Amino acid sequence: MRFRHRRVAAAAALATAAVVGLPACSAVLDGEESLVDADSLVVGVKADQPGLGLETENGGFEGFDVDVALYIADRLGIPGENVEFVGVTSAEREEKLLNGEVDMVVATYSITPGRKTQVTFGGPYYVAKQDVLVRAEDTDIQGVRDLDGMSVCQGAGSNSAARITEGLGIPVERVEGETYSDCIAQLRDGRVDAVSTDNLILAGFLAEDPGAFRFVNNPFTDEKYGVGLPYGDIEACEAVNKAISRMYQEGEATGMLDRWFGNTDLEMVHSVPQFEGCD
Amino acid sequence: MIPSHPDRARRGPGTPPGPSTGPVAPGDGTGPPRGVPAGKGGRTGTYARDGWSRLRRWSTTTPARVWTLSVLCAAMIVGLFASATSTLDQARNGLDVLGRGAGPQAMATTELYLALADMDARVADVLLMGTDHDLGSGREDALAQYEASREQANEVLLQAASLTEGDTVEERNVQEVLDGLGVYERLVTEALLRNDEAQAPPGEADERALGSYRSATLMMHTELLPKAFNLGLDSSAIVRANHEDGQASVALGLAWVGGVGVAVLVALFALQVYLRVRFRRRFNLPLIGASVLTVGLTLGVVLALVSSGGHQRDAKEEGLDAAMSLARGGAIATDMQADQSRYLLDPEQADNHQQVYLERAQQVLFRPVNNLADYYEAIDGVTAAYPELPGADGSDPDDPGTLGYLGERAHDALLPGQEDRLAQVLTAYNELQAQDRELREAVREGDVEAAISIRMNIAHSEDGAFVTYERALDGLTEDHEEEFTRGIGRGDAVLAPWTWLLPVGSLLLLLLVALGVRPRLAEYR
Repeated sequence: MRFRHRRVAAAAALATAAVVGLPACSAVLDGEESLVDADSLVVGVKADQPGLGLETENGGFEGFDVDVALYIADRLGIPGENVEFVGVTSAEREEKLLNGEVDMVVATYSITPGRKTQVTFGGPYYVAKQDVLVRAEDTDIQGVRDLDGMSVCQGAGSNSAARITEGLGIPVERVEGETYSDCIAQLRDGRVDAVSTDNLILAGFLAEDPGAFRFVNNPFTDEKYGVGLPYGDIEACEAVNKAISRMYQEGEATGMLDRWFGNTDLEMVHSVPQFEGCD
Repeated sequence: MIPSHPDRARRGPGTPPGPSTGPVAPGDGTGPPRGVPAGKGGRTGTYARDGWSRLRRWSTTTPARVWTLSVLCAAMIVGLFASATSTLDQARNGLDVLGRGAGPQAMATTELYLALADMDARVADVLLMGTDHDLGSGREDALAQYEASREQANEVLLQAASLTEGDTVEERNVQEVLDGLGVYERLVTEALLRNDEAQAPPGEADERALGSYRSATLMMHTELLPKAFNLGLDSSAIVRANHEDGQASVALGLAWVGGVGVAVLVALFALQVYLRVRFRRRFNLPLIGASVLTVGLTLGVVLALVSSGGHQRDAKEEGLDAAMSLARGGAIATDMQADQSRYLLDPEQADNHQQVYLERAQQVLFRPVNNLADYYEAIDGVTAAYPELPGADGSDPDDPGTLGYLGERAHDALLPGQEDRLAQVLTAYNELQAQDRELREAVREGDVEAAISIRMNIAHSEDGAFVTYERALDGLTEDHEEEFTRGIGRGDAVLAPWTWLLPVGSLLLLLLVALGVRPRLAEYR
């Protein structure tokens, strides 16, 4: 990223340090570079999540996360042409943010207490719920408890099936797919009975083929999709939150959700989520 | 006392001549200019030119130089006074905004969430009680608490509406919560009315009443509470920005005060050196006094500013920030305990309410577990181990530690004597979870009546497990609120004497300079 340096503040801080060299100055000097002063941005998004972050044939990225990132960047004063998207996998998100390869991560990145010790999260910009996708014709599955004894596919390294077995105490056969695309393929072929993960991710697949599957629509956990920021960049976090509030107030969020998931039966929330707080 | 004045000394025989630029005799400065070829130049230009060259000549005389240096000293002293006054004002203003403006407002906005969460909790309790109006602390009590929270929420919102005027995002947020609250209250009235009409027994809410309550609580949780929470966060953000801007401008002011203080010293030093060389006087006591006073004044102001800045930071971080964080934790716990009533009230969505209960509990006090049974064990472990915190050593990569509002409070340096208070909070929280376990066990065993009784006892407004927890938490929060008030008070107290010390000191400095140069200048009269 490039920065619009606030020379006055920096000079003042240096002058202060030079002349007085007192603890009071540390507060000023600690105010390191913040994304709010950047004039370009590298954003990490998913490359393989239809509807959320998907790499297109010409090397660009598209999806709800991409739209959200562009909106936020715009509110931070960074025009779209100065925003560069790079694909990140779930496992890479912290690392790429920590080593500065990306300035911001908008990649179905759930805010968890553990991650909050390494990453400052703006948002959430959407609260997805864990849900289950089944074949459209399997109408006897009406609730999550109807999955008793069935096979449920989850992505590699995911925790979602454990929430059904351990969290709710429903015995299901856990199947691991390499990716969620793999799980969806298995569901289509009848090799598994259900796919479990965040409803927004499932809606992205459903949107590609709305007649093939349906939601059990028994959302049972909150997945708070946050905007991952360099740890401690509170100013950027607050600016991101303000941008997200505005995104909902202006109806932009509704437009984006409709654009990517409008043809599915996903129950969407069109009101601003409860933010996590920046400190 | 007549000094070996260079100008006078020149009159004596055998004394070395003064510097060539020096004056010839006292009164020289006002005497006729030497070497100006009279009559040269046009008539009109003569006076101006005469005046100019006279001034130029005068400026090279000793009194002129003494005057120049004295005026420079005086100007620097005035500069010191001005920069110190302005910086002290900024520091006072910063304390004022934090202590009496944005700070208390942020605290009030934070409590909006609590008021709203409490309203929804009381409604769930009343619906759960049904026709048995004496469960727990009773229906009347629950309705009175609902009304009190409703009034508080409205009050905070109206106040917030006037404060956020002009900030489009926040103003709209407040307006949406105000409007939404109206809709919510209508839904609640409808739910209560329908349940009363149906004479629904405890735990068997009327289907239509439940429908209204589902809409109400959904609206509360997807629209009102998130916006209220965000408003609270936003007011914290305003406090932070004010505080940091204030600290930055005070730091800049400190640089000015320090710089100008040094400049005063340099000017005073130059004056002394000049007097020493010119008048061969070793010491000029008033000017030495002035230098010492300058050092004292500058250091005094700098120390006062640094110290008040420290108190302000303590007031914000250990006082306000901690109090607000605890208040948020308390508000989320209020919503969490109400999930017990929702769980019992709405069997269809019981799984959901149980899951949400765990999620909110994790926000209050986090341990890396996936279900309630493990959570109860983990919390028991935290309470038993305190002041040690499980997972804090980072030895297990899958265990990020004991986190959440309470966990983080336990990590951060507590105020002196607070360990006991936090221990009480943890014990009360653990008891709340223990009763939650009993409640859910009763449901699993099919004894809904017992479960409802456990729930209503938890919610008892005098001695229930939740109010016990709330009281313990309030004790901790009040400590931080006191720390906040104390920090602001200390900051004010450190700055207070400078309202008179600074002008008096500056006047004294001017007086000392005058005293230092007056006898020298008098020699030229």
